[in-house]
Amino acid sequence: MSGDPTEDDYSDASAGVEATRRRSAELFAQLRENSAPEPARDAAREGLVHLHLPLVEHCARRFRNRGEPFEDLVQVGTIGLLKSIDRFDLERGVEFSTYATPTILGEIKRHFRDKGWAIRVPRRLQELRMQIGSAGAELTQSLGRSPTPRELAEKIGCSVEDILEGIESSNAYSTLSLDAGDGDDDGAATMLGAIGIDDENLEHVEIRESIKPLLDRLDAREKRILLLRFFKNMTQSQIAEEIGVSQMHVSRLLSRTLEQLRASLESDDPPAG
Amino acid sequence: MPADSAFVSVLRTTSAGLAARLDFTIDDIEDLRMAVGEASALVLPQAEPGSDLTCEFFMRPAELTIQVSVVSHQPTPPDEDSFAWQVLTTLATKASASADDRRFAITLSMRSALQEPDS
Repeated sequence: MSGDPTEDDYSDASAGVEATRRRSAELFAQLRENSAPEPARDAAREGLVHLHLPLVEHCARRFRNRGEPFEDLVQVGTIGLLKSIDRFDLERGVEFSTYATPTILGEIKRHFRDKGWAIRVPRRLQELRMQIGSAGAELTQSLGRSPTPRELAEKIGCSVEDILEGIESSNAYSTLSLDAGDGDDDGAATMLGAIGIDDENLEHVEIRESIKPLLDRLDAREKRILLLRFFKNMTQSQIAEEIGVSQMHVSRLLSRTLEQLRASLESDDPPAG
Repeated sequence: MPADSAFVSVLRTTSAGLAARLDFTIDDIEDLRMAVGEASALVLPQAEPGSDLTCEFFMRPAELTIQVSVVSHQPTPPDEDSFAWQVLTTLATKASASADDRRFAITLSMRSALQEPDS
């Protein structure tokens, strides 16, 4: 018995751990039997996928409520399972589930990393974007103001063009909802829940009557960012710090909100003021 | 450029690129990007169909001035109470509109936060 809880979890349900293992070993023997006819080996592979599918579902369940459909997660997880089946070495003496779990989880995590992007962006730019994000936060701290692209370029060791390109590419990134939970273990604490909202500011602010109904349609966070930027005159970096997201994220949210407001202003007739 | 909102993103990116050369901070660059978008959104609806959006860039140390204008017959000057105008004037250091019977233009200036006198 290996100490892997995952394995116990998924196989003790009905068939029993031993039966699953025996069946798995048989199928692997068939699959690796070079003299066996092609159809027989395909069938063995198929059988292994079905046998271990509960493991994939178990892994996918860990990532529920993160804004991605469970079925999609099972699907990408199954890719991990297929890879594991093809690479599994019977001689190693470890259980297949022990071997496959990291691969399946890796595949699901990769899905999250890639899927956050609205447009497929080259990996180089994705990495650059992350570097800009962290270097930007550091420099904002040490300088006490937002850094210039040149300062960022010096810090990261790339050109000013790269920085601009990185910032441009970040417009293609859409993070998953802040409202999504961070896992199923410790309650439903979401990032949004952790962000305080000081509503009194909204009441004190003089909002022009024509946009008030439009503002009311925004969600709380968008409204807050808009108010901080245009009524409290905070910079994007300050807002980022206050709300607890990156400056680039603030920039994206702000642009999107303005876009929405403009669209609604154009479509509705604003009440005469 | 064609007076079409599809080209505004090009204008925004160009403006951001120029501001970066002038050593504007990321915050300023993002503000400029939005201000240019707002200015374009104000002038474009008044453009004659099929006409051009003309953009002029004036660069000085730590200051970038951008004028966007369109051919327009009897343009109406922007409503200074409008949301877009409020946004524009908040983001830009300076913004002004000019309208005669042939052209409608909005000029916005942005000074780098780094060069503003610390007083």
